[in-house]
Amino acid sequence: MKTALVTRLKRFAGIDTQREKYAYAHDPVYGHISESRVAEKWTKTTCGYCSVGCGMLVGTRDNRAVAVRGNPDHPVNRGKLCPKGLSEHHILSAPGRAKEPLLRKNGVLTPVSWEEAIETMVTRIREIQQRHGNESLGVVGTGQLLTEECYTLGKLVQLGLRTRNNDGNTTLCMASAVSGYKLSFGSDGPPGSYADMETADVILLIGANIADNHPILCHRVDRSSPGTKPRTLIVVDPRVTKTAMMADVHLAVKPRSDIALLNGIAHILIREGLIDHDYIERHTTGFKEFAEFVSTFTPEHVAAVTGLTEQQVYETALLYGRARSAFIGWTMGVNHSTQGAVTVAAINNLALITGNIGRSGAAPFSITGQCNAMGTRESGFTASLPGYRKFDCAEDREDLARIWGISVDRIPSARGLAYPDIIEGAVQGKIRALWFIATNPAVSFPNYNLLKHALGNVEFLIVQDGFHPTPTSELADLVLPAAIWGEKEGTYTNSERRVSKVNRVVSPPGSARPDFDIFLDIADRLGVRDELYPGWQNSHDAFLEFQRVSAGRMCDYSHFTWKQIEESNGLQWGGESLYTDGNFATPDGRARILTVPCDPFVEQPDTEYGFILNTGRTVEHWHTRTKTAEVELLNDMVPNAWLEMNPVDASRLDLKPHDRVTVRSRRGTVVDLELRITGIIAPGQVFMPFHFSETNSNIVTLGAFDPISREPNFKQCAVRIERTAMRDRRSSGKRLKTHTSNLKERTELT
Amino acid sequence: MPLPLHELAHSDTSSSIVRLTQNGLEVMSQEPVAEIVSSLIPKRQLAAGEQYRFHFDMTKCIGCRSCEVACNEQNGNPADLRWRRIGEIEGGTWPNTSRYYLSMGCNHCLSADCLRGCPVDAYKKDPHTGIVLHSAEACIGCQYCVWNCPYSVPQFNPERGVVGKCDMCHGRLTSGLEPACVNACPENAIEIEIVDQLGWRSDHAAANAPGMPNAGHTLSTTRITLPEGATAQFERVDIETIRSEHPHWSLVWMTSLIQLSVGVLGCTVLSRHANPIVLTLIFALTVFTLNISVLHLGRPAYAWRALKMWRRSWLSREVLLFGLFFAALTLFSAASWSVVVHPFFGTRFLLAASKVIAPVLGVAGILASARIYLVPARPAWNTVHTPIDFLLSSAVLGCASMPLLLHVSHALDALPQLGAVVAMDKGASFPISLFILFSALWMLNHIVRTIRLSRSAMYELRASASLLNTDSLRGAFLVSFAFMGVAILFSLANQPFLALPSAFAGVLTARYLFFVSVVPLNMALTFVRTTRA
Repeated sequence: MKTALVTRLKRFAGIDTQREKYAYAHDPVYGHISESRVAEKWTKTTCGYCSVGCGMLVGTRDNRAVAVRGNPDHPVNRGKLCPKGLSEHHILSAPGRAKEPLLRKNGVLTPVSWEEAIETMVTRIREIQQRHGNESLGVVGTGQLLTEECYTLGKLVQLGLRTRNNDGNTTLCMASAVSGYKLSFGSDGPPGSYADMETADVILLIGANIADNHPILCHRVDRSSPGTKPRTLIVVDPRVTKTAMMADVHLAVKPRSDIALLNGIAHILIREGLIDHDYIERHTTGFKEFAEFVSTFTPEHVAAVTGLTEQQVYETALLYGRARSAFIGWTMGVNHSTQGAVTVAAINNLALITGNIGRSGAAPFSITGQCNAMGTRESGFTASLPGYRKFDCAEDREDLARIWGISVDRIPSARGLAYPDIIEGAVQGKIRALWFIATNPAVSFPNYNLLKHALGNVEFLIVQDGFHPTPTSELADLVLPAAIWGEKEGTYTNSERRVSKVNRVVSPPGSARPDFDIFLDIADRLGVRDELYPGWQNSHDAFLEFQRVSAGRMCDYSHFTWKQIEESNGLQWGGESLYTDGNFATPDGRARILTVPCDPFVEQPDTEYGFILNTGRTVEHWHTRTKTAEVELLNDMVPNAWLEMNPVDASRLDLKPHDRVTVRSRRGTVVDLELRITGIIAPGQVFMPFHFSETNSNIVTLGAFDPISREPNFKQCAVRIERTAMRDRRSSGKRLKTHTSNLKERTELT
Repeated sequence: MPLPLHELAHSDTSSSIVRLTQNGLEVMSQEPVAEIVSSLIPKRQLAAGEQYRFHFDMTKCIGCRSCEVACNEQNGNPADLRWRRIGEIEGGTWPNTSRYYLSMGCNHCLSADCLRGCPVDAYKKDPHTGIVLHSAEACIGCQYCVWNCPYSVPQFNPERGVVGKCDMCHGRLTSGLEPACVNACPENAIEIEIVDQLGWRSDHAAANAPGMPNAGHTLSTTRITLPEGATAQFERVDIETIRSEHPHWSLVWMTSLIQLSVGVLGCTVLSRHANPIVLTLIFALTVFTLNISVLHLGRPAYAWRALKMWRRSWLSREVLLFGLFFAALTLFSAASWSVVVHPFFGTRFLLAASKVIAPVLGVAGILASARIYLVPARPAWNTVHTPIDFLLSSAVLGCASMPLLLHVSHALDALPQLGAVVAMDKGASFPISLFILFSALWMLNHIVRTIRLSRSAMYELRASASLLNTDSLRGAFLVSFAFMGVAILFSLANQPFLALPSAFAGVLTARYLFFVSVVPLNMALTFVRTTRA
């Protein structure tokens, strides 16, 4: 007490300036740096945010992660990291981590033992399944898990819990790319690599704002440094994004007119003879119908649909067609659409007719979202069987049954419900129990009000997450605290099929446990552990089995061990390019050139809801901010959402910068957004970031889904903008208070 | 990994940077992709007359903010202090909109205002590297450098009670490593260069950029590469992001009270009412005020250091002059008691001398105090209205106090023991017309200032005026005038006990607004950011 008083007095008088806390020291590896960041040990690992898959080193001291560095030897990032990666060690000691299992008792989430938690979970699920059938359980996983965990989970859900209604949050993200690849090439698998961006003559980015979302890819398209190959970057985006500013050519198309543009380019390529007849002849089918189909996409028509000039369309086509190697990259601008899968097919068409696939610098390439979305695609048991196998292929099912030593009829012959259909099933009462793993649908799923209804409708809601409370875990009946990145060991696969090692640097907080251990515990309680996971002790056993499962498949993990992956800083399955021989995964080995009509997006603006709302991200935050809101520095940089509006619209509505505005759609209302008036957004459109639960864009977004991929159309819906009424504003005092209470909590921890 | 990362990444062409597929080989062999990029820090030693500087390539920056995070990690700074900051500028009309980013640490100016203003010599322009270094040990947390820097680079850390700023990672640079921001930038947009100081003095046009204050103020050394042929007129995206500044309450009280002290002293001397009781009251008020003033410092225990740089810093001069004022006032009071109670040899001379010296030092102190605020980096302070306001406030408060003091003296006069001490003329009075005159001038000064601010061509001045017109400050602005008006009414109604508090409240409110409504020069920042008081 006395010393505390003396310390306070010394602080007040300025005799104590916290010299120790702000001291510098010499790190043996990195030189002069704040003493607080000097590590005793550096552990190689892979970043746990996005799918670029940057190699990093995490420095630890006294069992605490104190610093992060880019791994200079890693081929993906060459020592560089984005702001999220550079501050990633902070999430490990974040105050918002889930630390103990919580069970809702008398309406209150109450700490319970792991035994009680797992016992309750299994009993409740079994009981619900007995009443409503096995498929009354829905499971939604994630691209945040390790490949080993994802593989383990798939078996647990499909073979242990015996429900097919197993999907991942990757359906909100990459499902359209997967479906598009399957449509064109007969299999999932991004055909290219990051290296292609450096060897391509033309890079066409469609709906991909890599400067905000995958910043460490930007140096690949850097054309200004001495010695870099001269190449042309074309960016197709309705908004003048940071990425658009890097481009040589920015095509500010009207929302969802990308198919028209792609077809229009194909039309010009065919007309100008800039296509690879030989490639088309030898490796594709469907060209004739395609050529006929796109003949209606004249530059005139395309210009009208896209809002570009005929000349822009023409010049883009020539740039693409004359390139020796042309690369097309895309992300959510394409995928987040009711026509996502076919848009991917339209992209693939361009690559196929020009032979821009299967060689250096030439690929249609989906830039993935989550750190291990690719791993879930390869090892998951959701939309397909592990190892890129198909439910409807008897041979594939027999293959797996043999490896697993189970009867083949245990393996379903059709996939269960996709994520949006699981939610729909919960609304209808078909799904009675829901288990979410490392995902936060209360912020990330479209049309929040319907989702809330679904979550309220189920009898038992389990949320397994590294963080609590999250907007979703708050609604749970059972919260299972999980270890996160940095607390468990396994592999992630990045966008370019590079399998990288992820290592444990610290122990999980409280009684949180790796998802892998939780899955095995559940299997144990179900009595299927010995059957499904014979002799398994840790995630490496899952890797060994997945090696056998994937052996001989396209995503073949059998060529490398954990050790080799780690030593080589990640290894790509399939090499730098897939389909180098022009042999595709279709029954006849030929890629499909498909006719893709361009339909207008579902909810068009009208007199009542006059704006098109576009949603997206900002570089400082990750998805629903369960992680980045916990990193003070990142949250301080961008503490709240905003709404972008063109000056023309703002003056029409008599709005000024920083005005508080309300976004209203037919489904709901988001209040109290900070208005940014800017020329980076087109007249008639508005944009808001989706990261913020306080101003959740998904209250207004549309629950419309791609019929093939089941991916939601997050990118366009019709909204109305009004000034927020005084009574609806969150007082700034309230927001400040939450901030300071966070700070306080943090001080107590340190 | 002993080498700086960029060297590893770029110097070895056979490393993973060149990764070819079998099919791509023939394409690649004709065109080498990776070439050695020159190191991002100078390879040679500095020659005489040269220094290090930042080069920022606006065409390369993608606004990813890695530099900011790397900087905070390097220096272990709290989240709300960022020694390197990102800003955004924008121009043109959709779809031909252009946006660019600024990333700036300290500009290590040739003519650094932070250094010149520092009262304790905590800043040093390193003679070898030219880096503007700040010593947390020497710093007393007066924050005068924060006011002086046109880029708002130095930032006060309340947890430490001292200021901190970018030192170009001096400790890394001198051991051959690039600064943290340079190291972190994925686009190699930031590098360290050598600049010839003399040459830069004559031509520093390359330090200017849209969204940056004019480099000519302090001769910023940062070279900025701008996009070629950019035709759009760029504007800061945060142009409407105007936030009120820290009120500095101790300074609000300190300046107002010291102006009261000096004003009363001046009035009593001029009206020949200086008696030991009155002087003792002024003395007590001054003791109180000077004690309040140190509370402004992050390190009050080292307040005495502020005297150090009196040859250069107006802050030191203010401290010195108010210190001397206090000494003279002490002498004045003592002498006046001595004359009444027990005259010593020379006390009459002392009384006569201190009667002149004390008020003169007081006024000089007020002028020095006003001079502190005449800094180009805080345009709304840097006007003639600041010294006028300080002097008029002093006069207003002095005049408002006189009737009250006379009243008190009269009352004391009635006590037999004190009669001799006070020795007051029966019926002595102080003209209220003077008070009315000064308060009218005071209000006029504020009105003219506000009109001039709102009509200025300079963004920061207009922004100050619009800040005064926001919901949160408009009320206070009107209240300051209301207080002064009410004070006049009270004094007309012969209510000195009410007139003085009212006038003082008016001055305090106006002084509060003076502090919070200043919009400092700064680089463009981002649109959305945390609100700070």
